[in-house]
Amino acid sequence: MSKDSQMRAAINQKLIEMGERERLKEVLRAKLVECGWKDQLKAHCKDVIREKGLEHVTVEDLVTEVTPKGRALVPDSVKKELLQRIRAFLAQHATL
Amino acid sequence: MKMEDMPLSGPDNTKLEALVHDIYSELVEDACLGLCFEVHRAVKQGYFFLDETDQESMKEFEIVDQPGVDIFGQVYNQWKNKECECPNCKRLIAASRFAPHLEKCLGMGRNSSRIANRRLASNNNMSKSESDQEDNDDLNDNDWSYGAEKKAKKRKSDKNQNSPRRSKSLKHKNGELGSSITSEPYKYNYNTGISYETLGPDEVRSLLTTQCGVISEHTKKMCTRPSLPDADAVVESDSFDIPDGQTLMSRLQWEDSPDISPTDSASSKASTNHSDSRKPKKKKRTSLGLNSVGVVGVGGGSLTGGSSSSAQSNISLSTKKKRPKLSAPSISSIYDDLN
Repeated sequence: MSKDSQMRAAINQKLIEMGERERLKEVLRAKLVECGWKDQLKAHCKDVIREKGLEHVTVEDLVTEVTPKGRALVPDSVKKELLQRIRAFLAQHATL
Repeated sequence: MKMEDMPLSGPDNTKLEALVHDIYSELVEDACLGLCFEVHRAVKQGYFFLDETDQESMKEFEIVDQPGVDIFGQVYNQWKNKECECPNCKRLIAASRFAPHLEKCLGMGRNSSRIANRRLASNNNMSKSESDQEDNDDLNDNDWSYGAEKKAKKRKSDKNQNSPRRSKSLKHKNGELGSSITSEPYKYNYNTGISYETLGPDEVRSLLTTQCGVISEHTKKMCTRPSLPDADAVVESDSFDIPDGQTLMSRLQWEDSPDISPTDSASSKASTNHSDSRKPKKKKRTSLGLNSVGVVGVGGGSLTGGSSSSAQSNISLSTKKKRPKLSAPSISSIYDDLN
């Protein structure tokens, strides 16, 4: 539905223009570091690297290994808070 | 896009929720990607595994997570309730009180030297010995505790009842004057025996025309700063009849305060009055000039004669504005002498 995608595009644009996306990103990063998510994932990376061999590791390898685990490892509290913030932003600035 | 209120109808809501989740997923993916880039770079630059050593050391320094113990495995308040033996007095002191006790016991802390000096000074006040210069100074350099300062100052003021400095300080409006005297680093004479009652008037006059002569309340020593030529004490010529040398003399007394006034309580009064108005410069000087005429006769008489006053007034005519420059060389000469 083009209207839908139009709306999405418009919202995304607004997010970026108002700097809200960057802010949300920073908030998420900070929370993930705080809760230990980053260290957990780094440890997982170490395993992957040892597995694949230090010299031959590529970015793609890491991404394919790490991203699903990363998504799963995000704690619920962090997820909830971020969803809340996004909803608030949309409520303030979205149009339908 | 128009700004409209958001309807909460079902399908839109789910769409919105889906959108929210999508945005969220994008953010999380960004975070993961960021981490991957960071790790990959660390691997390629070679610092990814730097924090790992051999297995033995790793085990030795592993983080400890037990209650009552810090992360190194040490008990942190183990020595709180122990007692230590003081090497000086051989007593058993509680560990938390050990350091202050040592300070007092060995006589090495801030407060212990202060207390010792105070005792010393009070002994020496009785005996009027000369060598307590630094101690007396230290006394007044205390961290300010009101009772102590009052006590110390009271003793000092008892000592030299007729000192010229004391008569000045009693005229309490002298704030600026007093501070200007104490703040400049004059040389000190080591003649604590001098008090102005013991000298005859001629001796006093000769002494005070060449030197400053102010006796410090702290150290009871006389300041030996050579008196300045007073070239800069003159007011702007527009506010005065210049030939009135006596008026100018009073100016000089007032501007360059410590030189002349100590000999004469009357002139010291005048000088205190003048010092009141030193800051508001122009207008008040005229009135003060008139006031001081009566006093000048007395003040003038205390000098060695009209010659010096006229000489001073001649110089003072031309150069009021030079005051800051003049005082600089004189002060630097003092420093030279000190060096």
